[in-house]
Amino acid sequence: MSGNGAVWGRVRSRLRAFPEHLAACGAEAAAYGRCVQASTAPGGRLTKDLCAREFEALRSCFAAAAKKSPRGGL
Amino acid sequence: MLRLGGLWVLRMRSPAAGVPVKNLCLRELASGVSSPGSTSPRALNIFDRDLKRKQKNWAARQPEAMKFDYLKEEVGSRIADRVYDIARNFSLALDVGCGRGYIAQHLNKETVGKFFQVDIAENALKNVLEMEIPTVSILADEEFLPFRENTFDLVVSSLSLHWVNDLPRALEQIHYVLKPDGVFIGAMFGGDTLYELRCSLQLAETEREGGFSPHVSPFTAVNDLGHLLGRAGFNTLTVDTDEIQVNYPGMFELMEDLQGMGESNCAWNRKGLLHRDTMLAAAAVYGEMYKNEDGSVPATYQVYYMIGWKYHDSQARPAERGSATVSFGELGKINNLMSQGKKSQ
Repeated sequence: MSGNGAVWGRVRSRLRAFPEHLAACGAEAAAYGRCVQASTAPGGRLTKDLCAREFEALRSCFAAAAKKSPRGGL
Repeated sequence: MLRLGGLWVLRMRSPAAGVPVKNLCLRELASGVSSPGSTSPRALNIFDRDLKRKQKNWAARQPEAMKFDYLKEEVGSRIADRVYDIARNFSLALDVGCGRGYIAQHLNKETVGKFFQVDIAENALKNVLEMEIPTVSILADEEFLPFRENTFDLVVSSLSLHWVNDLPRALEQIHYVLKPDGVFIGAMFGGDTLYELRCSLQLAETEREGGFSPHVSPFTAVNDLGHLLGRAGFNTLTVDTDEIQVNYPGMFELMEDLQGMGESNCAWNRKGLLHRDTMLAAAAVYGEMYKNEDGSVPATYQVYYMIGWKYHDSQARPAERGSATVSFGELGKINNLMSQGKKSQ
């Protein structure tokens, strides 16, 4: 850890804002969750980037919410 | 400048010839987990105890440490219930991995005369909760209890044995410091604890990164618990299980609470970094797969309570074979049998 913990403090405060940004993207999060959950059904296989499209939508919504908030950006 | 260069070159040359320093460090880390061909079954090193001490110290020093105490308070009060259930008074008791003393604050001076609190984190011992029983705080590791044989009437342990590397040895130590006819009452996290978090992280990591690494530490299974207690020498075992479900607004709040409790992962094989994308994906999966009606997400804490006694001649033993006087077939007439017994007395 650095001497005064400035970097750590900054990163933690950004992380603490995650839940409210996520709450602003409820629909995209639900869509991503449903996609992943569908792959856990019998006969489905979860591979890398199976739900990449839904995740991109979630991520862009999340980044937009983060930009809008006073904290400013991911 | 020349001297500095010389020193640097020396350091690079000191490991075994041909082995780069980076690989040496990786191999040391890997050997922390026992290899399948190890000679001694006790050479288990799953958790970094030093890091666990640092995490507990950090958690105890937080400005609002009390708001993360809810789980340990609840389990502490249930263990105190079990102590009251035993119709005996204990003059000397030990709390292994006490944290801030969650069990002792529910007990009274008649039941327990004096309490020894043992923990590996000194900050937790410094902030011990107010209680009426006289206590002595000792800084010690759960696997290396610094007490003589046959010292304590009662040993309790609440939610700290799941970070112990060598659990058989820790239980043997507890058995050692107990007096004959002494009792050990413990609570440990069980296999289903935090399964929602484990599954969400697993699925999200697989989808985002193509593989996954363990983020939730391994817990003991209930069958193993019985065997472990028996192997340590305890008699008359009782193991029962309880599930506490706590609702959180989301996955991030759950992880923050776990960190505030001092329950962060400290296994050697933990991955040092959790990507933001993976965290986001896991929170979305958690919310979708496990959410309640009101939008909160549950987290399950499965707790195993175990009671074991140290052998003493006065304890009831199984009767001799063939000494039965009534048969199970007469169970329907048990009222008559009991009244007959009373009359004959």
